[in-house]
Amino acid sequence: MTPLQFTEEQRDCLQELVNVAMGLASDKLARYLDTLVHLQVPAIELVDTLQLPQHVNQRYGEQSTTLVSLGFFGDQGLRGEAIMLYQLENVGVIAQLLGYSDDDSSEAEMLTDISSVLTTTSLNGLAEQLENSFSYAAPRILSSRDQHFSRKLTETASQWQLALMVDIRYQLTDYSFNCDMMMLIPGEAVLRLRQMLDKILAGF
Amino acid sequence: MALTVLICDDSMLARNQLKKSLPVDFDADIVTAGNGLEALAILRTQDIGLVFLDLTMPELDGVGVLEAVKAEAMDCLVIVVSADIQPEMQKRVMELGALAFVRKPASAEKLAEVMHKYGLI
Repeated sequence: MTPLQFTEEQRDCLQELVNVAMGLASDKLARYLDTLVHLQVPAIELVDTLQLPQHVNQRYGEQSTTLVSLGFFGDQGLRGEAIMLYQLENVGVIAQLLGYSDDDSSEAEMLTDISSVLTTTSLNGLAEQLENSFSYAAPRILSSRDQHFSRKLTETASQWQLALMVDIRYQLTDYSFNCDMMMLIPGEAVLRLRQMLDKILAGF
Repeated sequence: MALTVLICDDSMLARNQLKKSLPVDFDADIVTAGNGLEALAILRTQDIGLVFLDLTMPELDGVGVLEAVKAEAMDCLVIVVSADIQPEMQKRVMELGALAFVRKPASAEKLAEVMHKYGLI
């Protein structure tokens, strides 16, 4: 097994940890938007960042997407970058719901606010289950409503080795709001993560 | 005769976690299901007294299972064990007849407390 591969047990374990983490984030989002969020099973996939451009093109094609990035730093070398990919046909609706005015600067503000809430809540939940704790850099917009975002994403991803793709669909009651989260982590953090998962699995 | 308990969760880790967190003095046979459809198939053919039910699952989710249990008037108790902790969701599953809601990951203490409360141990 190469260092970047996970066994089925490790993948299942990580998926369940992500599921619990997402539950916390959805609860936050539901309170924030005052609506019920329908949770779906978080499909997770581990992708070598060398394969990322191909993967992203396949998945998103020519759709325009906004990328928001947030760096995280944990104990024992567990660190990386979480990227949220938003496809917001409904951006105006959400902005209105949250009381942001209808212009570009407040759209950016709203996306960094939501990203901050969603990523820190879910990553805190993940860290806690790994008996770790994360600190965060401020969220920043990598590219906005960009049809050529995959180039930008590839540049960012090239600093890391592994992309943990977590496909999260926050389906709200009256409209859908798609947001994928991608965790980019370096090779040594992958090894640490695998050890942490093995430790959890050994407990059962 | 020992109670037969169904643990329904799509995650193997979650099923094992739950199994391990059950009270040691709880005398039960345990069967498992990986999604809601599998759970219903078991519920319709076996005598299940208690179900630990996850909500977020492929094929058929936990809410779907609760709806079927209610519609078919199946005689079993359901304890929901889920990461979907939204108050609105907790309210919904209780309205559908769940006995209790336990947030994931379920601790042994919490499970013992709930099971004790309903006379299961």
